[in-house]
Amino acid sequence: MIRARDIHKSFGAKKVLRGISFEVEKGESLVVIGGSGTGKSVLLKCLLGLERANAGTVEVAGLTDPKPQILAAQVGMLFQGGALFDSLPVWQNIAFRLMRGRARLSHSDAQALAIEKLARVGLGPETAHLFPAELSGGMQKRVGLARAIAGDPPVLFFDEPTAGLDPIMAAVINALIREVVSDLGATAVTITHDMRTVHDVADRVAMLHEGNFYWQGSAREAFETDDPVMRQFTQGLTEGPIPTLR
Amino acid sequence: MTVFATLGATGRATAGILGTMGRVIAFTGQALMWTFRPPLHWRELLVQLVQIGWLSLPVVGLTALFTGGALALQIYAGSARFSAEFAVPSITAIGMVRELGPVLGGLMVAARVASSIAAEIGTMKVSEQIDALRTLAVEPMQYLTVPRLLAATLAMPVLVAVGDAIGILGGYAVGVSRLGFDGPTYLRNTLDFLEFWDVGSGMVKGAVFGFLVALSGCYFGMHSGRGAQGVGEATKSAVVLASILILTANYLLTEAFFSA
Ligand SMILES: Nc1ncnc2c1ncn2[C@@H]1O[C@H](COP(=O)(O)OP(=O)(O)OP(=O)(O)O)[C@@H](O)[C@H]1O
Ligand SMILES: [Mg+2]
Repeated sequence: MIRARDIHKSFGAKKVLRGISFEVEKGESLVVIGGSGTGKSVLLKCLLGLERANAGTVEVAGLTDPKPQILAAQVGMLFQGGALFDSLPVWQNIAFRLMRGRARLSHSDAQALAIEKLARVGLGPETAHLFPAELSGGMQKRVGLARAIAGDPPVLFFDEPTAGLDPIMAAVINALIREVVSDLGATAVTITHDMRTVHDVADRVAMLHEGNFYWQGSAREAFETDDPVMRQFTQGLTEGPIPTLR
Repeated sequence: MTVFATLGATGRATAGILGTMGRVIAFTGQALMWTFRPPLHWRELLVQLVQIGWLSLPVVGLTALFTGGALALQIYAGSARFSAEFAVPSITAIGMVRELGPVLGGLMVAARVASSIAAEIGTMKVSEQIDALRTLAVEPMQYLTVPRLLAATLAMPVLVAVGDAIGILGGYAVGVSRLGFDGPTYLRNTLDFLEFWDVGSGMVKGAVFGFLVALSGCYFGMHSGRGAQGVGEATKSAVVLASILILTANYLLTEAFFSA
């Protein structure tokens, strides 16, 4: 479903991705972990075609190096910062894509769909008519999640879906991601710093380190491995091979 | 050493300006191309017509009112030197509709609209909303730039026409209350001497200025740097470029319309 081959991406002299290659099978949930600033968000943007890689090819849903607009019906994306449209109320944010194009929904259908998706991320129908600026950070994140899953896309990218949420809400979101993957057969790539998410969501875990997937394995292996880099990261130790000054 | 340093700095600045000009021209070409591609985002266009046109009326109207008044005073002072006071109404009107209406209106709209467009689009870029648009099958040029360009190009001529009327009114008020003109005579003098192309040329200028204002705002918004500083820089550059383009275009259009 997703295939990346030898992706290189630099910003100026700074090499962020250094020849990364991997595949994600249809219906698989890959969780990507890695230090802050190692290029996880950049990796997702390369997969989506939002950032152009300096070298390498990407294949998503059968399309090679696609433009993001062409992927729109195939891929739902939750941005790290939510990226909600300030000028539109929550329900129009969620139904944004479905209210445009040939098969557009009517206003009332779009609103009903938005309210249904809001319920799935633990938000009541009264949220639908608020504007993004009236929401807390965690609420914005969940609306972004509702927008990502709105069109039931076969591929989903989540950039830190539980960041800024309380532990109960984080568990709700983890369960939701698990559900769209197992029930709807979606393929998901989730970036997280939350070890609960790794545990609950991952079929496979990949650790991004120094521009490459340094380690891959199951969630269970991720917590049990003796690898010093993985151990330091999953247990959050200050002592170890990963420097704390980055 | 300092000579070389100065030369080097001048060279870099020139290269920078030329580079920006090239990118602005390329951006204009792209924007025009997207303008003629369906779909047109109607709702956005209406919102922008209100934002750019309707909400600019107070600023443009006040500017025109005081400019018309001041113009009448100056022209009276000038024409009194060779006993040609009777020309005050017509020259005030011509100065207003041909030159000051469109130029000052354009500059006020540049300050109000180029800045807000650049800040809004720049903030959208910084907060990844532009990326989000693309992942939701919408082309940002078509959704953000085209409606603003169209709205500004359509609204500015109307703003100029309204400004013309208010400016002439300002001249009339000063003429009648301060300079001792007879009200009906002042108005008749204004209307008799004003030709259609005087007003029409000003409105054409307005359309061009409106386009340039929205273009500067959109260009710098779309190319905004990261963070609050990037957006601030974009806003400033948009107003500066819009103002320079308006003044340059005004001279060129005046040459084209009225020389020979
Ligand atoms: N548009 C850009 N221009 C310049 N540098 C960038 C840009 N985008 C990302 N970077 C740099 O690329 C590196 C990776 O950024 P990225 O956002 O992918 O980190 P991340 O792994 O998602 O971190 P976090 O966990 O903190 O979100 C960072 O050092 C960042 O400074
Ligand atoms: Mg990130």
